[in-house]
Amino acid sequence: MRKSLILAGLPLLLLSACGGGGSSDIGPTPPPPGQIIATPGPPNVEPVVVDAGPAQAFNTGFVSVTICVPGSATCQTIDHIEVDTGSTGLRILHASAGGQLSLNLPPAMAPGGMALAECLQFADGSSFGPIEVADIQFSTSGKSATNVAVQVIGAPNYTVPADCPPRLENTVADFGANGILGVGPFIQDCGLACQNSNPPLPGWYYTCSTPTTCAAATATTAQQLQNPVTLFDSDNNGVIVELPSPPAGGTASLTGGALVFGIGTESNNGLGSAVVLAIDDTTGFVQATFNGTAGLNAALDSGSNANFFTDSSIQQCTAAVGFYCPPSLNLTSTLQSAGGGASAAADFSVANLESLFNANPSAAAMPNVAGPLNIPAGTANPIQFDLGMPFFFGRNIFTAIENAPTPGGTGPYFAY
Amino acid sequence: MKLNGISLSCAALVLLGTGPAFGGLGGALDSVQADQAHMKGALRVTSNSGFTVHGISTAYGTSVREYTGPGGTVFAVAWDGPVNPDFEHLFGGYYTQYLQAAAAAHGSHRHLSIQLADLVIQNNARMRTFAGRAWVPSLLPQNVSADDIR
Repeated sequence: MRKSLILAGLPLLLLSACGGGGSSDIGPTPPPPGQIIATPGPPNVEPVVVDAGPAQAFNTGFVSVTICVPGSATCQTIDHIEVDTGSTGLRILHASAGGQLSLNLPPAMAPGGMALAECLQFADGSSFGPIEVADIQFSTSGKSATNVAVQVIGAPNYTVPADCPPRLENTVADFGANGILGVGPFIQDCGLACQNSNPPLPGWYYTCSTPTTCAAATATTAQQLQNPVTLFDSDNNGVIVELPSPPAGGTASLTGGALVFGIGTESNNGLGSAVVLAIDDTTGFVQATFNGTAGLNAALDSGSNANFFTDSSIQQCTAAVGFYCPPSLNLTSTLQSAGGGASAAADFSVANLESLFNANPSAAAMPNVAGPLNIPAGTANPIQFDLGMPFFFGRNIFTAIENAPTPGGTGPYFAY
Repeated sequence: MKLNGISLSCAALVLLGTGPAFGGLGGALDSVQADQAHMKGALRVTSNSGFTVHGISTAYGTSVREYTGPGGTVFAVAWDGPVNPDFEHLFGGYYTQYLQAAAAAHGSHRHLSIQLADLVIQNNARMRTFAGRAWVPSLLPQNVSADDIR
């Protein structure tokens, strides 16, 4: 892995010179710095762990979040909240769903007095629950925000509407975590479609005259779940996910990772030599060139547990359907800003996922795993090149939020 | 994802979901019209060599394509849009198999890949875009391959 090669070859003296500084000395160009992971603590760094969590996840990074009844010290700290740069908003599984949240939080209300609820859809099912209001805190960094709309998945007494499609993932076992912290590039989770659609988009936001009678409804961008980072007083223009590399054979627990709030706002979150790749604000994509095909819709997504792309020459697994099982491969690609401009190499390896897990069945952080991307060609704006957690291992990956000013330009963008 | 969840009992699954209860996959042409009414969408029919594509688009941006062969049976479906389509209608008599396989796969929230003896389902979801397709291998007309399902 790249990180271990750099550390093995680099004299200690040069290591201390790496990591930023804009000196214009004439002299030999120092080698690029190895990965520097910020130390958890105030004002802006939370620790991230990649382990199985409460529901046998793999390649999922987790943080803890403290939830409080607004304006009070009645709080709960909930661990194993998934860090997701591919979604927006904070969502927590209720205790009656096998989760930890048991506070009585006030419901978020639509004008006219009805409670708001939401259906969160995935590729493999949906999660439903009311929107409630909480004060949130991150205990290591001290970051906090008040009166935050949070989706409480699996809250008791709610009837899941028929247009929130099964398979229902309303328990921790089905959902895969105690909650999810969506810190992706959008400010709200649905955007203008949920505000403007007439009739309302089914399967997104709901108003509930009673918990058993929720109906699809529009939700203004202000009513929707917000990217929690945008609600901080400072360090609120984006995040950096900084994960070490697991050993090649994987590990049950990868510690030492960090979730850094803010880009270029503190001494520990500058872009340094990271290349900024602008994200198309409508589609959420940057562009990729891979296997001679340019212009692939691409994303860096910590909520994706492998790298997903189309390459019919790569052997697919037979038992682990949906993943690749080749002899080890080293692949290259290039990522480019939406609309052209800056580009950066994106090299990665693909190993035989079944062999890896057979050799290390308890691994929860596994590098070099990938799978086929099966998107119908007639789809408008499909994702075509999905770099997930394996690409995050050993890299500091920046996600800047739409419209947010940063030293590297206005978001949204990815950078690494 | 739990690897040991992949070992499904395919025979047990085939016993359920016999015959189309709704339109959609495995259903007949009249079921396509029922789907259009259910989705309140506009229908557009395209004929290709060996199969016909019935495209239904809704005002809010969901597009569903149903593929029928010479006999008029729906052998494949594809979709994309800002939400998942109504799978209960779209998968017809295969809906129960889908539910069981999706639970067993315990795949990721982003990509679902189901491969049973007679049912293939692929779904993808990220932020505000959903796209996928499904087909019944035994119903594929001659000279039609999975690549035609788009």
